[in-house]
Amino acid sequence: MKPGTKLKSAVCDTEVMVIRGSEGSVECGGAPMVEERDGSGGEPDAAFAEGTQMGKRYVDSDGTVELLCIKPGKGSLALNGVALGIKEAKSLPSSD
Amino acid sequence: MTQVMKGVRVLEVAQMTFVPAAGAILADWGADVIKIEHPVRGDTQRGFINMGGVKVNPRRSPFVEHPNRGKRSVGVDISTPEGMEVIYELAKTADVFLTNYLPRQRQKMKFDIEHIRAANPNIIYARGSAYGDKGPERDTGGFDGTAFWNRSGIATSMTPPELGGPISQGIPAFGDSIGGMNIAGGISAALFHRERTGEALELDVSLLSSAWWAAGTSIDMGIDCGQVSRNRMPTSGSNPGNPFMGNYTTSDGGTINLCTLTPGPHIRNVFEHLGLPELADDVRFSEAESLMKNWQAASDLIRDRFAQESFDYWREHLKTMSGQWAPVLDLLQIAEDEQALANDMLFEVEASDGGEPIKLVRGPIQFNHEPVNTTRAPEASEHTEIVLMEMGMEWDQIERLKELGAIA
Repeated sequence: MKPGTKLKSAVCDTEVMVIRGSEGSVECGGAPMVEERDGSGGEPDAAFAEGTQMGKRYVDSDGTVELLCIKPGKGSLALNGVALGIKEAKSLPSSD
Repeated sequence: MTQVMKGVRVLEVAQMTFVPAAGAILADWGADVIKIEHPVRGDTQRGFINMGGVKVNPRRSPFVEHPNRGKRSVGVDISTPEGMEVIYELAKTADVFLTNYLPRQRQKMKFDIEHIRAANPNIIYARGSAYGDKGPERDTGGFDGTAFWNRSGIATSMTPPELGGPISQGIPAFGDSIGGMNIAGGISAALFHRERTGEALELDVSLLSSAWWAAGTSIDMGIDCGQVSRNRMPTSGSNPGNPFMGNYTTSDGGTINLCTLTPGPHIRNVFEHLGLPELADDVRFSEAESLMKNWQAASDLIRDRFAQESFDYWREHLKTMSGQWAPVLDLLQIAEDEQALANDMLFEVEASDGGEPIKLVRGPIQFNHEPVNTTRAPEASEHTEIVLMEMGMEWDQIERLKELGAIA
């Protein structure tokens, strides 16, 4: 999985750009992501249906994979069946 | 809206609202604004958990959307030499460099004007500061609450002396948003100058200069006659000297502001609208001079009349009055304000949390009567790889910079 590659969910509208690659299987909605959809469709697995958010980066706990969401959808992302988390900006708390 | 800044690239190394708001205005106008953010923390603005005492939802933060809509975010650690090389490479592709970092920080991290001009001699270098880029306070930071509101003298003038202490700014980023528009105006003029002459300028706008300009008539008058105006305590009744000028309380506690600065031509029309037609023939009030001399008596009669009817009654009833007036509303009423909506004062961007679109206030300038059409504020570092690849950077180099922590 080469960095810069665009991957699509097989079961929802999600599209990601691969920022950091991995040997493992990148999945969305419980199904492996593909470069081109074959039109078979389907629904996200209920265990992977948290949804994806536009512009967010998704990473695994070891930092081996990083995906940038370029189109949101209903499924959620995983690597080898383990859900990915959002990489958030760790901003300093402020209040006016 | 006509993209008057299409083809212009702005490189923004700035945080908070004041200077980023200038980038937002230019992005609304079609500029490609690249916002540099810290790869881990993002703009400090993203950390706001409260705003004016109201809790903020960080996924739909107006503090982030208002000054950053329409931009692309690139995560660069500008404190690293490798990160600064990326800034120089981006500067080569930009027309404008926009920053609010302090002079000593610009020097230390090497993105002051001489460093950026070494990369791109034709770049317009725009600085936003608290107190100006010259003088003993040039290296002192600030916010609109300090520089714009309090240091300037505005807080003092806004506060009735009876209150015993200055009132606060009350509206978050009030001075920032005004000042940001000033910077955007300055950049537009500098781009025009460069287009005509080929000369790239540097420019400065401070929160203090924005405040002093906004208060300019009072300052100029004060310097000339030794006295500046102060607000009076709220009351139902007119300002001394002009009964058609002041706030009047309605029967249900609302307020109607009369602001007919030149009352003479409006005497009959105003009194008729107030339901006091006989006063237009009363010798105390029938001419401008007598009306202004007998302001207290007229003010009392008008005050009593306003107290007889509701706010909605007056708001409807005064629509045809020739003298100037306004209903006193609150900021939230813009959402249903016919006049605001008719002038496209609000526009929508998609929300990155997938929820309802976010409504945002547009900038004050409209071209060709057309509404703003732009995108939401970027997530922190969202466009790092895309922008660097566009610039021609190879993936190997992007990975190397990521390993070093120089980029997001």
